Amino acid sequence: MLKGIGNLVLKELKELMRDPKILLGMVLMPLLMFPLMGTIIGASMEATKEKLAEMHVLVWDKDCGSYAKNFTEYLRSYGIRVHEVDVSKLSEAVALMPDYNATLLIEIPNGFSENVSRVIEGNTTVSAKVEVYGVFSGSGMFEEVCVSMVDALVESYNRQKAPNPVGVEKNTIVKGEILEGIDPGTVSGLMMAQSITMPLTIMMLLTFAMQIAATSVAMEKEEKTLETLLTLPIGRFTILAGKLAGSTIVAAVGALAYLVGFQYYMSSFTGMIPAEGVDLAALGLVPSMLGYVLIGISLFVSLLSALALAIILSAFAENVRSAQSLIGFVYPLIFLPSFLLMYMDISMLPLSLQILILAIPYSHPILASKAVIMGNLSTAVLSIIYVSAFTVVILYAAAKLFATEKILTVKLRMKKLKIKWKRKASTES
Amino acid sequence: MDYAVRVEELRKVFGDVQALDGLSFSVDKGEIFGLIGPNGAGKTTALRIVSTLLLPTSGKVEVFGLDVVEQPEEVRKVLTYLPEEAGAYPNLSGREYLEFMAKFKARDKHELKEFVEEAAVISGLGERLKDKVKTYSKGMKRRLLVARALMTKPRLAVLDEPTSGLDVLHSYHVREIIKRYVKKHEVTVLLSSHNMLEVEYLCDRVALLNKGRIIAEGAPEELKEKFESANLEEVFAKVVKIA
Repeated sequence: MLKGIGNLVLKELKELMRDPKILLGMVLMPLLMFPLMGTIIGASMEATKEKLAEMHVLVWDKDCGSYAKNFTEYLRSYGIRVHEVDVSKLSEAVALMPDYNATLLIEIPNGFSENVSRVIEGNTTVSAKVEVYGVFSGSGMFEEVCVSMVDALVESYNRQKAPNPVGVEKNTIVKGEILEGIDPGTVSGLMMAQSITMPLTIMMLLTFAMQIAATSVAMEKEEKTLETLLTLPIGRFTILAGKLAGSTIVAAVGALAYLVGFQYYMSSFTGMIPAEGVDLAALGLVPSMLGYVLIGISLFVSLLSALALAIILSAFAENVRSAQSLIGFVYPLIFLPSFLLMYMDISMLPLSLQILILAIPYSHPILASKAVIMGNLSTAVLSIIYVSAFTVVILYAAAKLFATEKILTVKLRMKKLKIKWKRKASTES
Repeated sequence: MDYAVRVEELRKVFGDVQALDGLSFSVDKGEIFGLIGPNGAGKTTALRIVSTLLLPTSGKVEVFGLDVVEQPEEVRKVLTYLPEEAGAYPNLSGREYLEFMAKFKARDKHELKEFVEEAAVISGLGERLKDKVKTYSKGMKRRLLVARALMTKPRLAVLDEPTSGLDVLHSYHVREIIKRYVKKHEVTVLLSSHNMLEVEYLCDRVALLNKGRIIAEGAPEELKEKFESANLEEVFAKVVKIA
């Protein structure tokens, strides 16, 4: 029934694998990209661990009893940098946190030592609690890890003293405001929907748009409609602008559809996160109108540069298939920052990675949106300026390409390069 | 004399390949002029330079006195170009494609309608113009594109292999369109073909191209007489041998 299938498969393999663009885009890129991503994410996790080891905690000991001292020493014994502060009000302690670079404040209330002694003696009517205040900075994973670490330490402290003399009351500090009884993990959980949706949407929008633009140019080249367009009495930049605008609109519709679908998907389980009456808007964790405008501008300029880049790359392709493969080379620049910034803040990464992420223009819509959410509008503006400069350069290159015959004649001459390389090698030997 | 097209000592080099090697010819106004020769002779390169798509390495090309290097925008106003084996946008209907192209040349809605109606007559596609281009046969697509190139009554129509790959009937239709329409509206045509019999039928004058150079030029009858040949194919074979 399948007589000749072997011959057909062999032909397919030869045809596909001998196309250097397919070989590079489909085989070599994943082989390089995933180990690279693994290495980078591994390095980031390592950085998180290091940051935790360097975690600074303020302890406001109102009790000053023996168990309070014992508890503080216990924290120190785990390598946590504990700074004891002597203040009269909680707000004063919170105000001191930036001075010590502290992410957590532990308040040991009056009567703590007495209550611990009573519990240890078997009195079950009393309990000793510490109040933990975690600073919410929008850095994702790190906040949860910090608070979880205190939980784990209290748990292990309890195991030594038994039976559970110390409890933890969690509170959150958002932009200097204290939110009593709200776990930073809860705020993080709620923000997670936002911090995942944004990078994913941006990632999808950029990849869709690049695919559309590249396909569009490659199809015009393949069908020779581009040649016809270029002989019409219209400016070459108008043709380029038409391509950019058309691709942007289609990509925006695609991204919108994706966003709506994703919101439904997220809402199906975010309802399960105990919100405890937390209103993100009331906490100032929802962008303002100006913030939305800045996110929009950042996204628009990034999109424009991605489209122009796709158009430049597709000019090197002879058909749609090779255009798609060439675009594949840009995807790591989109995926890498998206995945990294989904879970962690850029400040938590090693310096070399921070520079890499900042240099990639497609990181910036995500960085800008995170900055806007945390009310840091100047960072968003700087980010927009950087991407705009990059966009101008890329647009200029695309316009130059369209203005000359290069748009029709430029090709990726892999064969020629190979021959040149061989010649060079043989002359050297 | 005022020429429609004047090409002088035109050279074009792509890397190591010399596509045109000192090409010179001129096309009179209202004339159908054919560049003929085998594949790789440099016909398409010459037409692309005349149409402002490529830049010459050296030499001079003028279209109605306009320099293609110095005044490409002006040149594009007076010509239309039909690439070899070109397609159209597959998801547009034939009429939408014609309207899209006509909008770049029409001065008002009335003229736009006029152009599209003209194209409908030229192509002879009738009701099929409402269908998407992707449903068209190769011949129908070519008729649509030829109609697009002629509908605006350009001063110069540059047609690269207008009947390439078409069957006998479609080739006949396209040739008839060009011959009839061009004479009626005094459009100058510069075309290329490797089908020498077709060129003999269509063109007022021809230039035989080989390896980027013109090896003979004149009216088909003159050339046949000069080289004592029955048709242009024979002329070409003899000229190549002499060259």
